[in-house]
Amino acid sequence: MEEFVISEKIIDKTIILYLNGFLDAHTSNVLEKKFEELIKDQKYRIVVNFKGLSYISSAGLGVFMAYIENLRKNSGDIKLSNMSEKIFNIFDMLGFPILFEIYKEESEAIEKYNHIN
Amino acid sequence: MKNNNQILINSSTKNLHLVRDFIEKKAQELNIDSNTTNQIVVSVDEACTNIIKHTYKYDESNTIEVEYKSEGHSFIIIIRYKGKSFDPSTKHNPNMKHYFAKYKVGGLGIPLMKKSMDKIEFVHTKPNLNSLTLIKEI
Repeated sequence: MEEFVISEKIIDKTIILYLNGFLDAHTSNVLEKKFEELIKDQKYRIVVNFKGLSYISSAGLGVFMAYIENLRKNSGDIKLSNMSEKIFNIFDMLGFPILFEIYKEESEAIEKYNHIN
Repeated sequence: MKNNNQILINSSTKNLHLVRDFIEKKAQELNIDSNTTNQIVVSVDEACTNIIKHTYKYDESNTIEVEYKSEGHSFIIIIRYKGKSFDPSTKHNPNMKHYFAKYKVGGLGIPLMKKSMDKIEFVHTKPNLNSLTLIKEI
């Protein structure tokens, strides 16, 4: 299995990122580069689907903190979906649901963007 | 691997998964539930990541030794490394409402470690040997 791989698709104006593998201090730069690339291309509406992610540490949490402000300033967001209980507990332990919208299903996260033109 | 209850890694983030796999296996041997196991695993990961980044500054020629033992209802991990001492238990957890309001980045490894474990003990002995003990009551 690859350590960490991201695949993506676009639905309307929303980019869906599918994270696979583990997101730690060794692999978090891969996700950073992806966010940099999306911001450069002015793609600000992002949904991150965690279904294939087996593990996250604070290095992974840090990537979401690093880009959320910039994306929201550009009327975008990072909405999160399909987290396992194990992954959600790490986000929840530090209170991330205060800042981030977390949905059970990817479709619910996409739907939230559809209310905005 | 020095024995079944120890793992020795070179200080590179590419080896973090080896430490996580080692701890996870030990927790599974004790039938610890998956959420508690993940809390222990993430704590050890954060401790090793801090050592790799801040003590060894990514110099891969250094090593980190991780030992596991169980005493009564305690799952104990002892992490031994050389160099500058830093006691993570003395660092205060950030106010997360303030943290989010300011869109801060970084500094969450130690808070995650402290929230996940029941006790953290740091000992610095001569010459420059540090041991960080993480304890989870199970």
